[in-house]
Amino acid sequence: MSPEKTENRPPHQPTGSVTDGILVSVLRLSAFLCLAGWAWVHLYWEGPYGVLLWQDSTYDFAQWLGISWEEFVGNGVDEGWVQRWISRIGWIYVACAILSLTARKTSDLQMLVLLTGTGMLAVLSYAKYVAAQRQLPMLVEHGGQVLAPALLALALALGGRHRVTVGVAMVAVVTTFAGHGAYALGWWPTPGNFYAMISLSLGLDYDSATTMLRIAGFLDLAVGVLLFIPPLRRFAAGYAVLWGLLTSLARPVAGMSTGLIYWGADQYLHESILRAPHFLIPLYLFLLWRRPRPADATLEPPS
Amino acid sequence: MHSMLRTVSCGCLLLTAFHFTAAPFAAAQTGRSRPRGRADLSIPTVEKKDLICFALYTVSDQTLKLTAQLYPLSDEDTKTVRLEIEKDGKWIEAARTAAIEPGWTATFRIENWDDTKSHRYRVAHGAEAFYEGMIRKNPVDKDEIVVAAFTGNSIHPVHGGDISRQDLIDNVKRADADLLFFSGDQVYDHNRHYAAWLKFGRDFGDIIRNRPTVCLPDDHDVGQPNLWGESGKISTLSGAADGGYAKPAVYVKEVERAQTSNLPDPVDPHKIGQGIGVYFTNLNWGNVDFAILEDRKFKTGPAGRVPKQGPRPDHIRNPDYDPASVDVDGAVLLGDRQLKFLRTWAQDWRQAELKVALSQTIFCGGAHIHGSANGRLHADMDSNGWPQSGRNRALDALRKGFAFHLAGDQHLATIFHHGIDEHRDAVWSFCVPSIANLYLRWWEPLEPGKNREPGAPEYTGDHLDGFANKVTNFAAANPEKKPAGNLLNTRAAGFGIVRFNTKDRTITMECWPRNVDITDADARQYPGWPRTISQFDNYNPPSWGKLGELTFNVADPVIQVIEAGNGDVLYTVRAKGTSFTPMAPNGKAFIVKAGKDAPTTVVSENAKVGGDAINVSLK
Repeated sequence: MSPEKTENRPPHQPTGSVTDGILVSVLRLSAFLCLAGWAWVHLYWEGPYGVLLWQDSTYDFAQWLGISWEEFVGNGVDEGWVQRWISRIGWIYVACAILSLTARKTSDLQMLVLLTGTGMLAVLSYAKYVAAQRQLPMLVEHGGQVLAPALLALALALGGRHRVTVGVAMVAVVTTFAGHGAYALGWWPTPGNFYAMISLSLGLDYDSATTMLRIAGFLDLAVGVLLFIPPLRRFAAGYAVLWGLLTSLARPVAGMSTGLIYWGADQYLHESILRAPHFLIPLYLFLLWRRPRPADATLEPPS
Repeated sequence: MHSMLRTVSCGCLLLTAFHFTAAPFAAAQTGRSRPRGRADLSIPTVEKKDLICFALYTVSDQTLKLTAQLYPLSDEDTKTVRLEIEKDGKWIEAARTAAIEPGWTATFRIENWDDTKSHRYRVAHGAEAFYEGMIRKNPVDKDEIVVAAFTGNSIHPVHGGDISRQDLIDNVKRADADLLFFSGDQVYDHNRHYAAWLKFGRDFGDIIRNRPTVCLPDDHDVGQPNLWGESGKISTLSGAADGGYAKPAVYVKEVERAQTSNLPDPVDPHKIGQGIGVYFTNLNWGNVDFAILEDRKFKTGPAGRVPKQGPRPDHIRNPDYDPASVDVDGAVLLGDRQLKFLRTWAQDWRQAELKVALSQTIFCGGAHIHGSANGRLHADMDSNGWPQSGRNRALDALRKGFAFHLAGDQHLATIFHHGIDEHRDAVWSFCVPSIANLYLRWWEPLEPGKNREPGAPEYTGDHLDGFANKVTNFAAANPEKKPAGNLLNTRAAGFGIVRFNTKDRTITMECWPRNVDITDADARQYPGWPRTISQFDNYNPPSWGKLGELTFNVADPVIQVIEAGNGDVLYTVRAKGTSFTPMAPNGKAFIVKAGKDAPTTVVSENAKVGGDAINVSLK
């Protein structure tokens, strides 16, 4: 099923295929969970902007705007520009998350908010990239999260089966898995928490964990290739759903404990939630590429 | 809504764009040449004759421990490394070992080492590679043992980390330091310890090769931003506040092998979780007994253990929080094994005139403003001010031996006199400045300190830190509020020199900026330094009184004061000269013991403040 043949024809999609409404709902849930997870980070914890804000150049800029040192970082009694700014971003994430649930094609404001969400996530991923000493996979692997709100906007504006929507979704999956894969293969230093999650979740030793990571890394990259091969793309998307879900759940599974306050839920759950695009965008593709039942496939759409 | 969106969007774009484009311009405006990019950590290809990068050693209790650090060996290269000692002009092989990979370290251990004289040594690999140095004699005949202390070895150009260390090399030679102490963060790269360690060796090998060296790996060395080791747990949380090690154990073991295998044998070598080793021990050098501590390895991670108090699990922003609420049951600092070691160590004064604790960082929250755009932090659980009960247990163990505490990590040089039950009732600490300062901090209490010295800055004096620990500040080398110009000294970079005078029992702390000649009469230390204290200031609570003076027929006996009521040892110390007036709390009775090298003779069984003088014969 090529996107060109199905675009703008949701009322006439083959019997047995998933409705456009379901596809949009999956993307809606993906954007909502991602934005809500990051809202939680910003409001309950702290946005990862320190590496950007704590630059001489940033302070120079603030000073150029007439902001003093104490106004910039706070004085202990009052919050500074930095704290207030980060807090406000958190509330914008809340607004974006709420509007992602209600966004309609007809509301320019809601569409603008979704695109703003993608913009803010882009800044956030850039901050994490800088904090990671500019390791390219750190920037790339956030592709799924960054594109999740924009993908919803596209699906609403153009349709869940429009080739632009599908293309952006494929880019989102490929970037996410390519970033993870590059780390897992050791092309860039494999993050310690990759090993930690495998060791704690599966009880594997270092050598076994390394082997598993290398295999997983290879499969991550394979997903990026197989998505573009029509006979195999649904298999690739299905694997991506499974692996994206497992890697998202690995954070709380490995870290939560009954011995911790709230079982550690406030420390770990959002780590899974904000990674929802890692498995929901592949799920969108998996559903989109669902083959019609043989009996249904003989039906011709009305001319 | 539109206006707010536009503002935020523009803000995000501006920040990012400014970050990309304006930093070089800003640097130019401040007149500095600030190279962009990161430090070069590539491992150079060396000739066979240069395969040995550097070597570290210690000698303690007549045992030599030496670690040679090699560049990568090829498959064809022999893995055997030899240690040779010069005798009568000839090199005699004293030991051989196989280089260990990962890390390419070669570790040697030789017992019955003659430390009464210096020995020339060379590490040899194959027929071409030799690395020479000097194993110094134990300086027991010197009155003053000089320790050069360093921390925070950022190599990033943006912090001035790319500036040559030659000034440090020159000053260590000028001071003729007897011992080098690198308290942590020798390596900041979180993934390439081996490459960074080789660079460390190239930078400091010229002084390390000729004098005993103690390196303590800290959080960055083992590849994480903060470290609560929690007895070897695996950490999964970003920032590692859940406790444990973020890197695989094989990485941590490589780091500890490279940095600590030259230390005296651990006193309690049982491994912790993931098979990670321990290295806490003591090093007796020049009649100064150094306790080498691991104040991170057993420490509990705060995430999920303490009620959330701020934007990070380890940060407390709310100044109105209840400090007792975070001093939770079960939270560990040094841990039982190290406390047990310290209690034994504090009572052992054989070949010891002074006792010193070396660890990664000091036992208090020693900064108020943190340089990550977070502004003022009320308390930071990465500091050893938390957990408070563990902090008090550590200080109590140290003060029982009148131990001075030398540490680093804070990126801010300070002198504190610590208190447990009252201000100034425990040991003194000196936190040395960073070699190159990655992360700025300031000691800047909101209220002026009480009981300050005349003319002293308001930030000195008696304070409570963010955990309500009692601390008295005597100096803080705060960086400039907005560092500019010189990348090192305006960021309060530098190093410490500590002079332990075993004859008059004084401890002199010096805090030097970078790129000065410490022998130049015009060279100035950071404000507040130098400061000299007595060994006996490390346990002299203001509320205590004097027991009766003890006069001995031998010089420098060991004195022990025990609470008669419960049998607890109050302290043990080596007296200076033939008389000593023990200090003790009022209203209690004490057993006083004394001896030439150990307190074996009961001098008094009911000593009290204001008691009579006693003549004691110990022969």
